[in-house]
Amino acid sequence: MIEVKNLTKSYGPNLAIDHLSFKINKGEVVGFLGPNGAGKSTTMKIITGFMSPSSGQALVGGIDVFENPIEVKRKIGYLPETPPVYGDMYVQDYLRFVAELKGVSAEKLASSVDYAIEKTNLQGVRKRLIQNLSKGFKQRVGIAQALVSDPEVLILDEPTVGLDPKQVAEIRDLIQELKGKHTIILSTHVLSEVQATCEKIIIINKGKIVAEDTIKNLATRRSGLLKINLKIKKLEPHLAQLLATVDGVKRVDPGESATEWKIETTLGEEMIEKLAQLVIQKQLGLLEISSEKQNLEEIFINLTYGSAAEKREKKELNL
Amino acid sequence: MKAIMTIFKKELKGFVFSPGFLLICGITTAILSLKYFEGLYLFAESLNNRMMMGGVNQKAMNIHYGVFFGHLSILNLILIFAVPALTMKLLSEEKKMKTYDLLLTLPVTSAQIVIGKFLAGLFSLLAIISLALLYPAFNRMFAEFSWPMLIVAFLGIFLVASFYVAMNLFCSALTESAIVAFVLAVILNVSVWLVGSAVQVVDSSTARQVFEHISLSQHMSSLIEGTIRTSSLIFFLSVIAFFVFLTERVVEASRWR
Repeated sequence: MIEVKNLTKSYGPNLAIDHLSFKINKGEVVGFLGPNGAGKSTTMKIITGFMSPSSGQALVGGIDVFENPIEVKRKIGYLPETPPVYGDMYVQDYLRFVAELKGVSAEKLASSVDYAIEKTNLQGVRKRLIQNLSKGFKQRVGIAQALVSDPEVLILDEPTVGLDPKQVAEIRDLIQELKGKHTIILSTHVLSEVQATCEKIIIINKGKIVAEDTIKNLATRRSGLLKINLKIKKLEPHLAQLLATVDGVKRVDPGESATEWKIETTLGEEMIEKLAQLVIQKQLGLLEISSEKQNLEEIFINLTYGSAAEKREKKELNL
Repeated sequence: MKAIMTIFKKELKGFVFSPGFLLICGITTAILSLKYFEGLYLFAESLNNRMMMGGVNQKAMNIHYGVFFGHLSILNLILIFAVPALTMKLLSEEKKMKTYDLLLTLPVTSAQIVIGKFLAGLFSLLAIISLALLYPAFNRMFAEFSWPMLIVAFLGIFLVASFYVAMNLFCSALTESAIVAFVLAVILNVSVWLVGSAVQVVDSSTARQVFEHISLSQHMSSLIEGTIRTSSLIFFLSVIAFFVFLTERVVEASRWR
């Protein structure tokens, strides 16, 4: 549905995004992650046709954004960083205005506006001036605006900024609901949000893609090592030596208590089975064994700030 | 076309319901009421004097010169400041409030945006100009004069006002700040009248001809006399089209930055 090829945007000598390429299939929900200034918004702005790239190409539904911008814009609902609302308009008039410009036919106008209002829970404020609404409501009006023409592609730049936890949950549910029917790209730096809503994430840093994968794959991979947590009933101080003899075990560390152990292995999940067998054979009383999933936050920090942290460590060692 | 109408309607509605617009209308009527009746009074007085003294000057006896010309000059003076006040926010506010992002990502062209906004500015001005037309219309109740001449004179002021709208919309497109747009627009509006003065200053006859052609006061005075010259019409329409085009370019150019 969306294809980006070698997209570059430069401001003088500064590269905002640097030869970015990725592909998003129809119906996918993709999270865009990255620290501030990584180029998330720039990429989104280029896909929506708000900005032109310095070089490269962006295709939406097979149509080049720069050769046929009008056609592409009809397919896209876009929520920019700041909700683009007119303070002097009523919520429903505003949504009607956007729908009309999006080319919604006259008969469908009223139902489109109702649809967007209902999806974003704006029933209570539909006849109020936007300038009198709170930040959270303005944000929801912004989301409603993106939804109003029922576009194939939704591009949401930090959709949950300024919302309270209940509203955040509502928006999450909304995105879940829209999944499959619409192709959605959302950018955020709230990691739990990505975890809750997206199937695939693209992490960018300094204008480059540093990771592009499904959340599951990202969570289990970490330089080829699988971490296993083990909890047993008996106190067994020599367990470390015992476990170290097992093929594939790389390292054994004591866990939080004397009966807990952390094991690093180079092999896959079959190691869990092997270790469990061993513990049961020795009658140590197996209570818990699980593979530790690296959480998204760790991955994110590793990928974006990781190199910097390592450098700092090295520096300290040198001193 | 539909997109132009949608933007036009939205902007016009914004104008009509904004307190700023009503304030401008109010101030306009207040100033015109003062000056129009003053003009009328002076005209009647000079008529009396001349009749008693004899040797009547034809031009001074004409209500079109004696009253309406002054009326339109005052209106023009008001417009020099009123048009920037109306148009300053049209594009600058969009940039400031980030609604520009929305407009430029909607399936509409820059030309549609600019023309829609230009027309909205034009129609709201039509309201102010119609207010000014009420004064001579009331005059008609107790004085005979020729309508067509007056209408042509108002057409003239309308063309000048459209020129202001196009030029001031361009100023609004250049900046994010409504105040900067306003100041720039007023400077431009005043300076187009100064171009006419160059006619008196330059020596070369070709230069003089050029300045005569682009001098607003030259075109305006013939229209106030009730003559429509094609050269004037072409002049006004081309400068309006030129500034609308420039504005469209500025809006389009923001995509390429």
